[in-house]
Amino acid sequence: MADAVNKKETITVDVLLYGPIAAYGGGTHIAEVKMTMPQGVLFRDVLSQLGIPAEAKGYVFINAVLCDAPGLNASEQLQIQADDHIGIFSGTHMWPYQYRDGVRMSDELQAVLREKGAMHHSYESVAQDE
Amino acid sequence: MGKKILRINMTDLKATYEDVPEEWARWGGRGLTSSIVCDEVDPTCHPLGPNNKLVFAPGWVTGTPAAPSSGRTSFGGKSPLTGGIKESNAGGMSGQKLAKLGLHAVIVEGMPKDKKWYYLVITKDGVTFEAADKLMGKGMYDVDVILGEKYPKTAIIGIGQAGEMKLSNAGISVNDPENKPGRYAGRGGLGAVMGVRGVKAIVIDDTGGEGVAIANEELMKKGRKALTAAIREHALTKKDGGLNAYGTAILVNILNEAGGLPTRNFSAGHFEGAAKISGEAMAEAIEKRGAGTMGHGCHPGCIIQCSNIFPDEDGNELVSVIEYETTWALGANCGIDDLDYVAHATYECNDIGLDTIEAGNTIAMAMEGGLLEFGDAKGAIKLFDEIRKGTPLGRILGQGVVATAKAFGVHRVPTVKGQSMPAYEPRAVKGIGVTYATTPMGADHTAGYTIAPEIAGVGGKVDPLSNEGKGELSLAFQATTAYIDSTGYCLFIAFPILDIAEGFAGMVESVAGVTGIEMTGDDVVPLGKEILKKERLFNEAAGFTALDDRPPEFMREEKLPPHNEVWTITDEALDEVYGWVHAD
Repeated sequence: MADAVNKKETITVDVLLYGPIAAYGGGTHIAEVKMTMPQGVLFRDVLSQLGIPAEAKGYVFINAVLCDAPGLNASEQLQIQADDHIGIFSGTHMWPYQYRDGVRMSDELQAVLREKGAMHHSYESVAQDE
Repeated sequence: MGKKILRINMTDLKATYEDVPEEWARWGGRGLTSSIVCDEVDPTCHPLGPNNKLVFAPGWVTGTPAAPSSGRTSFGGKSPLTGGIKESNAGGMSGQKLAKLGLHAVIVEGMPKDKKWYYLVITKDGVTFEAADKLMGKGMYDVDVILGEKYPKTAIIGIGQAGEMKLSNAGISVNDPENKPGRYAGRGGLGAVMGVRGVKAIVIDDTGGEGVAIANEELMKKGRKALTAAIREHALTKKDGGLNAYGTAILVNILNEAGGLPTRNFSAGHFEGAAKISGEAMAEAIEKRGAGTMGHGCHPGCIIQCSNIFPDEDGNELVSVIEYETTWALGANCGIDDLDYVAHATYECNDIGLDTIEAGNTIAMAMEGGLLEFGDAKGAIKLFDEIRKGTPLGRILGQGVVATAKAFGVHRVPTVKGQSMPAYEPRAVKGIGVTYATTPMGADHTAGYTIAPEIAGVGGKVDPLSNEGKGELSLAFQATTAYIDSTGYCLFIAFPILDIAEGFAGMVESVAGVTGIEMTGDDVVPLGKEILKKERLFNEAAGFTALDDRPPEFMREEKLPPHNEVWTITDEALDEVYGWVHAD
C-alpha cells in the first residue's frame, strides 16, 4: 500500500542533455537520463537535481515546444508533467534566427520575447540586460 | 596589370584576358557571377546547350592577407535543376588562388567541336588545354590524386561521373587543404553545366601570381581586425565554440527537439534516431575511434573551422565533411540512423559529384515510391552504384527529386522551383518557408541567412509568433545573404557580426578597404537587393511567375507531426516579398 501511494506521488520524465552539459548526466556529448521526481515538480527542480547551473543551459524544449533560449529565463517555473520529454542544450549550441522563426513556443517564452523583441543571438547581451 | 576577366572558349580552345567592365568591377562573388550570367546568358537558353555559360569568381576580399574565413568561390550559370539562375559557392582551395592570379572572374563558354574532354590548367602565364582521357570515368577522389601529383599545391575544381553524364544533380568539387574533394558548389546542377563545356577539371596554380591589390590598407586592416575579434569572441564561432566542436550538425538535435527535422520524406518533424547521426554523435565517434577530427578548416585562413574528417569503423579517415544538411538528407530524411552509413554515402556523393541534399532527398523519394524501404541503409548505398554506372535507374536518380518523383508516381514532392528542400521543415519553422518559396535559387536554406531583424534593417519588434512581417524579414535576410555571398566570407560570419556590432562594421570596412568602393553598413541591404533584382528578372525572362514562388501542395494539406501544423502563410504574403522589383 505504501508503495502504491509513492508511485502515485512520483512522475517519470525523460531528459536529454546535449553538448558539454551532458557531463551532468554522465555522458560526454549526449546523455539521456530517466528521472523519477515528485509530482508538481518545476523545471528548475530538474536542473537542480541534475546539478546543472541555470546559466549553463541554452535552448530548452519540453515535448517539442521551445521553452527557453540562451540568456533568457523563461522556463524555471514551468511545471513538469508525467512522461514529459525534456531536451536541454548547452549555451554554445547554435540556432540561426531564420531556422527558428515561427517554431512552437511556450506561453512563458512568448511573453519574454514580446517584452524583449524578436529572438536573436545576443546570448550575453540579453543576459546583461536582465 | 589589374584584375582581369578570363574568358575560356571551349569551342575554339582559346583563352583571352579582358579588362573588367565598369559594371562588373563593383561586384565580387555572387554579385559578380549573377551579373555576368544576366548580361551574357540568354534566360531562355537550354541549360545544357551551347548558350549557357559557367562563371566562377572569388569574393571581394578573397585572397587578401589574413582576411578571416574568406576563401569562398562563387559558381554561376543557368541551372539544369531549376531552369533559373543559380549561384552556388564553395570553400576549398580555389578562391584564394584565383584572386592571387588577379582574376576577377572566369567565364567558360562554348562546347568543344571535337566533342573531346579536357582539363584546363590556369597559371599566371595563361591557360593550357590538356586532354582529359585519363581522368574520364573517374570519381573526384581519383581525379584529385592524379592531378594533385602532377600539379602539387594547386586548387583542383572538378566533376565526377555525374557531371560527365550531365545529370541535373551534378555538383562542382573543389579540393580541400588535404587535396580531397568535399567542398562542393553542390546545388542546382552546375556540374552538368561544366560537363557540357567538355571540362572535366580545372587546375589553378597561383605560383608567381601578383596577389590582390588593396585600395585602402588602413581601412582593410581596421575592418579585418574587428571582424576577426568578433569571430574569436563569439560563443558559436570561437575556438571550441559550437561550430568548432560539433560542426554544422550541431543543429540535428535542436531541430529534432523542436519538431522541425524533416523525417522520412517530410512526413514528420521528429526522428527517433536523430541523436545517433548528430554532431554530438560525430564528436563521440571520433574520440572513441581515435581518428579523424572535428574543428577542421576547409580552406587556409579559416578561423571558424566547422568542418570535420570522419573515420570509418576501423579508424581510418574516410570522408570530409559531414554537414548538418548531409547527415539529415542521407539519414533522417531516409529514416536511417546509422552514422557510418551516412559517412559512406557522403563519400559516394563526394566521389560521384552529387549534391548531398538533393541526393538524400532523391533516395527518400525512391523510398516513398516503393523502390526500397525507409531505413534501408544497405539498399540506399547500392543506389549510388546505379548513378555512378549510369544505369537507367541511376540516371533517373541523378536527375534529382522531381524526376524521381515522376518516375515512381509520388505526389509528395518537397521542392520549390525544382530544387529540393533542405533540413528545416517549413510547416514547423515557417520563416524559412518564405525564403524557400521566394528565393530565385529554388528551395535553399542559405538564401536567407542569419541576420537579426534589427541589424538587417527591418526595424522594430518582429513578432516571431505571427505570420505578419515574414515577407519583409525574409527579403532582408535574402538581401543581406546576397551581400555576404559577394564578399567571399563564409556565411557563418553572420553569427558573430549579428551579436557584435563592431564585427558587422568590420566586415563592411574590410570590403571597402580592399575594393576602394565606398560603403557602410547601410549599404548592405540595398546592394543585396540589387543582386536579387538581377536574379529575379533573369528568372522572369526564363518564364518564372509568381506561381513558382509556392511551397508544395501537400504541405498546405498534410499535417506535420508532432505539432500537426500545415503551411499557413498566404500566397499574397509570398508575392509581397518581391513586389518591389517592378515597383522601384
